[in-house]
Amino acid sequence: MKHRRRLGALGVAALAGTLMLAGCAKDVNGPGSGASSGGGSGTGQGCKLAAQPPAAPAAATSSQEQGKGVDGSKMRVGLAYDIGGRGDASFNDAAYRGLEEARAKLGVKDSREVSAQPNETEDQRQSRLRQLADDGFNPIITVGYSYAESLKAVAKQRPKTQFAIVDDDTIKLPNVHPLVFASEQGSFLIGVAAAYKSKNCHIGFVGGVRTPLIQAFEAGYLQGAKAAAPGIKIEDDYLKPAGDNSGFNDPSTASLKASGQLQKGADVIYHAAGASGKGVFDAVKQAGGGALGIGVDSDQYFQPTVANDKDIIMTSMVKKVDQAVFGYLAAFASNKLGGYPKRFDLSTGAVGYTRSGGKINDITGPLDAYKQQIIDGKIQVKDKP
Amino acid sequence: MSERTSEPSSPRDGSEETEPAVELEGITKRFPGVVANSDVSLRVRRGEVHAICGENGAGKSTLMKVLYGMQAPDEGTIRVSGKPVRFRSPTDAIAAGIGMVHQHFMLADNLTVAENVILGAEALHGIGRRARARIAELAEQTGLRAEPGTLVERLGVADRQRIEILKVLYRGARIVILDEPTAVLVPQEVEELFATVRGMRADGYTFVFISHKLDEVRSIADSVTVIRRGESVGTADPRTVSSGELAEMMVGASLPSPCTEDATVTETVTLECAGLDLLGADGTRKLLDGVSLRVRAGEILGIAGVEGNGQTELVETIMGLRKASAGAITMRGSDGTEHELTELDTLHRRELGIGYIPEDRNRHGLLEHQSLWVNRILGYQTRAPIAKGALLDPAGARRDTERIVAEYDVRTPSVNVEAAALSGGNQQKLIVGRELSQDPALLLAAHPTRGVDVGAQALIWERIRAARSAGLAVLLVSADLDELIGLSDAIQVMLRGRLVAEADPATVTPQELGAAMTGASEGGAAS
Amino acid sequence: MNRILPAILAVIFAVLLCSVALLISGDDPVQAFTTMITQVGEGQTAVNVINTGAVYFIAGLAVAIGFKMNLFNIGIEGQYRFAVIVAAIYGGAVHLPPGIHTLTILLVAAVAGAVYALIPALLKAYRGVSEVISTIMLNSIVAGITGVLVKPDMFGVQSGNNLATAPIPPSGRVPGIPLGSAGTLFGLVFLAVLLGVGYWFTLGRTRFGFELQASGESATAAAAGGVNARRMVLIAMLLSGAVAGLIAMPELLGRDFSYGINAPQGYGFTGIAVALIGRNSPTGIAIGALLWSFLDKSAVSLDNIGVSREIVTIMQGVIVLSVVVAYEIFRRRELKTQQQRVGTEFLSGKTAGGEA
Repeated sequence: MKHRRRLGALGVAALAGTLMLAGCAKDVNGPGSGASSGGGSGTGQGCKLAAQPPAAPAAATSSQEQGKGVDGSKMRVGLAYDIGGRGDASFNDAAYRGLEEARAKLGVKDSREVSAQPNETEDQRQSRLRQLADDGFNPIITVGYSYAESLKAVAKQRPKTQFAIVDDDTIKLPNVHPLVFASEQGSFLIGVAAAYKSKNCHIGFVGGVRTPLIQAFEAGYLQGAKAAAPGIKIEDDYLKPAGDNSGFNDPSTASLKASGQLQKGADVIYHAAGASGKGVFDAVKQAGGGALGIGVDSDQYFQPTVANDKDIIMTSMVKKVDQAVFGYLAAFASNKLGGYPKRFDLSTGAVGYTRSGGKINDITGPLDAYKQQIIDGKIQVKDKP
Repeated sequence: MSERTSEPSSPRDGSEETEPAVELEGITKRFPGVVANSDVSLRVRRGEVHAICGENGAGKSTLMKVLYGMQAPDEGTIRVSGKPVRFRSPTDAIAAGIGMVHQHFMLADNLTVAENVILGAEALHGIGRRARARIAELAEQTGLRAEPGTLVERLGVADRQRIEILKVLYRGARIVILDEPTAVLVPQEVEELFATVRGMRADGYTFVFISHKLDEVRSIADSVTVIRRGESVGTADPRTVSSGELAEMMVGASLPSPCTEDATVTETVTLECAGLDLLGADGTRKLLDGVSLRVRAGEILGIAGVEGNGQTELVETIMGLRKASAGAITMRGSDGTEHELTELDTLHRRELGIGYIPEDRNRHGLLEHQSLWVNRILGYQTRAPIAKGALLDPAGARRDTERIVAEYDVRTPSVNVEAAALSGGNQQKLIVGRELSQDPALLLAAHPTRGVDVGAQALIWERIRAARSAGLAVLLVSADLDELIGLSDAIQVMLRGRLVAEADPATVTPQELGAAMTGASEGGAAS
Repeated sequence: MNRILPAILAVIFAVLLCSVALLISGDDPVQAFTTMITQVGEGQTAVNVINTGAVYFIAGLAVAIGFKMNLFNIGIEGQYRFAVIVAAIYGGAVHLPPGIHTLTILLVAAVAGAVYALIPALLKAYRGVSEVISTIMLNSIVAGITGVLVKPDMFGVQSGNNLATAPIPPSGRVPGIPLGSAGTLFGLVFLAVLLGVGYWFTLGRTRFGFELQASGESATAAAAGGVNARRMVLIAMLLSGAVAGLIAMPELLGRDFSYGINAPQGYGFTGIAVALIGRNSPTGIAIGALLWSFLDKSAVSLDNIGVSREIVTIMQGVIVLSVVVAYEIFRRRELKTQQQRVGTEFLSGKTAGGEA
């Protein structure tokens, strides 16, 4: 059990990181400097930028106050991770942070975490969920859309148990609550930021696996970049085809792809490739010359695994699974599941970008303006390329 | 085992003269199922050629492996120059001055003579001038004529053997074990080897000479120890003992003779090869060069030749395992109809009535890890009593294997044991039984009695003769010239892929045949 | 006895070794193994063990066909994945009467598997290219093929974040045997049984089976015995590929009805392990497949009680290794015993035929 304890410590560290990140994210909404289009130094002249939308009024997003005064001590929370489980430095860890927060703020005492493993069969996923339900855990949160089929089957068999599923909204059952994220909206802003920051007006995207989930990141990013700079050149690569999840854990291939993009002239690269992202950052750092990388899921500026590349991480597109999970648990504890959101977009603050490192402090004005346009529905962001 | 020297009471004076070079006492080595050594004793005097005689499987090789450190004896002691020793590996034996020349050469073809000699012994004389000087010195002693810089692949068998001997001497051996050194040589080469051995004996080397050829033993050895069924029967003086007496010591009875009685040759040609060419892997060298021959029903045609001159390739080409690049093979099948074979595959040829005794039974004749009855199927998987249509008939195969086991005296507890469990002689009897069981019109027999015991040899000869009398055509390839001369109705000599001479087995001597085989008297062996 | 004992010893050895590993990691081995055993009786585990076991069994057979003639067809993995997506696309696209629909899907799967094995087969037979290398390459290519085929603009259908082929209509499905709360047994479990019987019969009773084994044991002896090596390589590879094509059919036609990006992979590699455990014998493969499946299912239960489920992986690895070692030891011992018996016969001068 030493293993678990060590991971627990890691989790706490990650949690600390998130808290800092939360602070940063809030700052974004503060009065930003109006510095507009960047005529950068160096060789590139930057993009010819589109007219900036009208500046957004400074508005505070809802601060996460759901937890206040709710008692969750009777809850028995089951958490079923996707492949990789705790310690994946990605959405499994984020879900875990949500649970940790619930322990701290809601007083959740009893919980169980189980994890999928590579190449397991459908029936194994079902058994996992059934075992959790039969052992009395309620609610049960499943992480990842790969649980969709299994959950559809098990939720019918165990109607008294409440389930939530991250990244899937295809199950129409009263006891299943989807938690999906408009990552295309956050990625749109990332695309805008990349366009503003690129000196060569040439940016890149590296996706881990060509699945619809990742394609939403890609689509938003492309749309955002083109909205900000219609003439921008964009490199667009995936590491693996759909079905080959090794793309999320293949830094060496990622590094090759990123190097290729850099050689073609791209100088800002956004990755949506999980643990492969390290390869992207490494390649960007090695290329030097002011090239920048953009992280994903959590604020990678604070992530220990890519600490060496900190100085080239421009921003990260955060998808706050932890926030959604915690909120769900809080809503469950206070019996207000009915009103709890199923989709998390820019307006909820559960997707967005980070400012750690201060590299985009000068463009928060336009970013906020675009953000407001999206929230107001004036810009529709596509989730398919 | 301590390394203590002999006790003070033992006679020390003059021991340099009388102390045996090698003394084995009470050596016992047990193997499951194989006749190994049981309480074998052997004294080899310094500076003599000591022959170890015995039929195949009698335990000669095991005894030598014990002496050379390749196998540890279960009981018994080894003394070298009077000192008890215990060898854990050949390295220990070499350090004690014992070297062994194996029957199968262990040379790297793509290295030169010198490189082969030095390989693995670089520490002794380095790899430079000192080493070359030493090799030159030894080359003279061993009668090696090849230049040290020659690639081994260019050399013939006799030269390779000299290199093996040189290798052993280079490593400091004073006692040399020669394991059946003449098996691969033609008579002339045997004589040359013996001359070398005699010369080296004069220089003070000691030889342990393993053989089952009694004439050779009597011509070279100073003393001979006979081993039978793992036990030492006794030591004799080859100058006074007769071959017959030696043979009786070896097998406990008189030796079988391969002699064929009356001719049964008919006019019917069963196999006719016309102008067969076979190209080597490089696509240019001819392994077979215009080979034409005829074998009639009731005839045994012997092919003589030094190994590697195309005999194997000839048999395999007729069998369909190699594809002739030119020429025709015509055969009259068991059903009496004529067939052109060159476009047929091996199975088809077998179905026409070719039986095949391959020269390497373990590689080509048997599935070692299958039972005897499964081995009966091999080559006959399409015919009764083994098969019914596309299905096999295990019961039929079993029954017929039991018949072969009985008729061919295959010594086995049942037909269900693995072929690997049988001794070489019994494996060979099973193969001969199988290949003669399905009414063949033609038998290709390559070294049919190689490495089998005397009993099996006699039986195999007898069965081949009987089948030939009944009208079987036999193409016989053998390195055993006695066998070849004794069994054949006619002999053709093969040299570098060509049939170069004919010989009449009724009159030809092994010496004449040997001369023809080496090309010393091309065409001259015909008599 | 000599056929079962090594396997039992290997399992016992694996249990002991895993106990040590569990103790070191601070878990209770007794609790762990108790859970592994009792889980079989709970929920749907027993049925799931058999269902997945059937899949592994077919995979093991596919591998064993190659093994029997010393062909190391690592490409089972690629062959089955290629076959299943082709069959899923076909099954979802056509409308045929029940029965015929199912049969044609199975046929398409087998043919697709064989087709995917054809390339390495030809390379091996005519160019001597090691089937290991070529099949490894094809295994990695198959990911790209499925990735492309499952795209929405090709044959894929997107549902949420999942991508899969169009579902096969009920006419193509194979109904299972419902066992109430214990789950549903795949109908195609019986396909596995049928394949097993076919394998046994072919190997033991047909000329083809004999030639296959002869080639595997000694290519030279087989050639001398009239076996056409090239033909055998081709047929064995294609047959192996065809059986590989059927691996995922019980799941496809019995539960999933479509093939998507979440589909598990690695059945081909499991097949290698299972064939090794089973020593290529049909009953051995069946036992190996069920054992492997049982261990897989145990992982979920162990994780559920907080025991490191990696123990299952360790156990699977140890079992394969120790089974291989144990069988080799037993095989040698058997040969020695036989030699001893032959030696006794030799000395006493009796023969089997003489007594018969």
